[in-house]
Amino acid sequence: MKRFVIATILATGFAGSAPAEVRLGVLVPDSGPAGLFGPSSRQAAQLAAEDINATGGIAGEPVTLLFADVGVPPAQAVQSVQRLWRAEGVQGFVGMHDSAVRAAIVSQLRGQVPYVYSAVYEGGECAPDTYVTGETPAQQLAPVIPWLAEHEAAHRWYLIGNDYNWPRDTNAAAQDIIAASGGAVVGEEYVPLGSSDFDASLARIRASGADAVLVTLVGGDSVAFNIAYAAFGLDGQALRLGTLIEENTLAGIGAANAHRLFASMGFFASIDSEAARSFDARLHSRFGAEAAQPNGLGESLYDGLMLMAALGNAAGSLEPGAVAAVADGVRYSSPRGNARLDHNHVAQTIYLADGSSGQFATVARFDTVPAGVSCE
Amino acid sequence: MDTLVLFLLNATWQIAALALTALGLALVFGLLRIMNMAHGEFVMLGAYAPVLAAQWGLPALAAVPICLVLVGAIAWLVERLVVRHLYARMFDSLLATWALSILLRKGAELAFGRQFRNVAAPLDGVTRLGTVGYPTYRLAVVALVLAGLLGLWLWYRRSATGLRLRAMVDNPALAQAAGIDTARLSAVAFVAGCLMAGLAGLLLAPTLSVAPGMGLDALIRSFFALIVGGLGTLEGLGLGASVIGGLQSGLSAVFTQTAGYLGVLVLAILFLWRRPDGLYPGR
Repeated sequence: MKRFVIATILATGFAGSAPAEVRLGVLVPDSGPAGLFGPSSRQAAQLAAEDINATGGIAGEPVTLLFADVGVPPAQAVQSVQRLWRAEGVQGFVGMHDSAVRAAIVSQLRGQVPYVYSAVYEGGECAPDTYVTGETPAQQLAPVIPWLAEHEAAHRWYLIGNDYNWPRDTNAAAQDIIAASGGAVVGEEYVPLGSSDFDASLARIRASGADAVLVTLVGGDSVAFNIAYAAFGLDGQALRLGTLIEENTLAGIGAANAHRLFASMGFFASIDSEAARSFDARLHSRFGAEAAQPNGLGESLYDGLMLMAALGNAAGSLEPGAVAAVADGVRYSSPRGNARLDHNHVAQTIYLADGSSGQFATVARFDTVPAGVSCE
Repeated sequence: MDTLVLFLLNATWQIAALALTALGLALVFGLLRIMNMAHGEFVMLGAYAPVLAAQWGLPALAAVPICLVLVGAIAWLVERLVVRHLYARMFDSLLATWALSILLRKGAELAFGRQFRNVAAPLDGVTRLGTVGYPTYRLAVVALVLAGLLGLWLWYRRSATGLRLRAMVDNPALAQAAGIDTARLSAVAFVAGCLMAGLAGLLLAPTLSVAPGMGLDALIRSFFALIVGGLGTLEGLGLGASVIGGLQSGLSAVFTQTAGYLGVLVLAILFLWRRPDGLYPGR
């Protein structure tokens, strides 16, 4: 009992004397299938917080980050969010995780705290006080498919993905964009998550006469598919375009298997711009040997935090009503380039990169691409 | 015609890869009655051998000794510290090796990192068989597996060590009474089984996504092959791998990969239920 009293006095004493600060909850995948992206996510968030604080914080108050692991089932992730929100006094959340976790968080927060979701995702999130910086299928494909038709003669598309909503929604968007650009879809198939044997799919791709393959397989499935694809010499027949092939996936595929493998995302570590080069240099000077390979998923937390800061500064606080009133049209910049909030999604720069050498080389850049999500 | 040839080649590859992966598990179970749930992690460790060789700037062939030393040393330690105390305690050994698999997986995450690794195939390109092109490296692995299994079968049937092993399997107490050092023989058998798993990982690494979690897939597929074929004999292993690999290839080619996985699962359940001894019960 005595110990409890002392602890309470200490706690209230510290709370009373603590300087004013803005506490932000940062939700990252430390464990689970996306655990690979935990370190790069945390590091991007830390750099963002330093940059925000160097320019005056949010509404004049410095930002403090509180991290939570959301690479867990949604019910568990929500408990971490509740703890940060109710017990730690977090005033805003920025998260990079899967859509199931996002849905659970949205239903917990119910617009009482601003929430920025930064992962590449299938589009369609329209909950109040929820803002999305991640690339949508329309963003990743609308400028890129016509470009590949013009420059790489890609007209006959074969769509292959893992069997869940992100690949299916991406391919639904691809169907329309391919048709509009004068191409045709010659095959579409979905394989269970965790597949390692793609021989039957590769035989079907060969038989279809496709000259382009849209790959929405994720992680190890994508690596295994792309290795077998090249082993069969299909890279001569059809180019590949991936919308979730980032630096780690490409490293797993290997230079020998990456001939004519393209990727479309909002960020690559090799983007040729001052902002991107400086991000890379700072990661290394700040984290040294611990610096994680920069990639579009991890870096997205930098964007998410920059949007949160821009929202708070525009509104003068992170009070959800005030933020919602000024949100539309808020601008921020990041290693990706300049972005503008367009309703609750972001119009942003999209890069098309060629991985043939085993390293991404950007071959085209498309500015201010709309997210294509209408929440009316 | 081309479609049929390609299908047959794909099925052959799947069967050979599965037999190679399952060999170590079959060996350890057949000789020691230990269901080694960490089998997949030894496959994973073997797959990291070429990664280490490349990292240390060594020639590709150096991956073989690295694999043997790395996997052999860990398997020997595991036998000494864990498995030795659990012979003839099937359920306990299953739990202990399952825990071990988690430990090895997490250890690999710490030692090698969680990222995907690429292993370049020592033979690249496509070999033309008539009008069908097939990856050269896969054809080489199939040939190697066939030769290796045949050699192993002959050795087991004809050599003195094979005879002692069979004596130990049939009746450990009697074998010991007859002067066979069964403790040492068991240790050697366990390490040999793990080395088989490691070599499978080494050979298959250029065709897989190499990451710390890759072992689970290897374990599950091997387990299905053993259930169907019958636990503990080389003949059963060959039959099981053929049925599982062939069925999955066939259903995937005709329908979808989902049908392929479903077919394998249903077949494994049917066998466990109606015919737990498998197609080739051996003894």
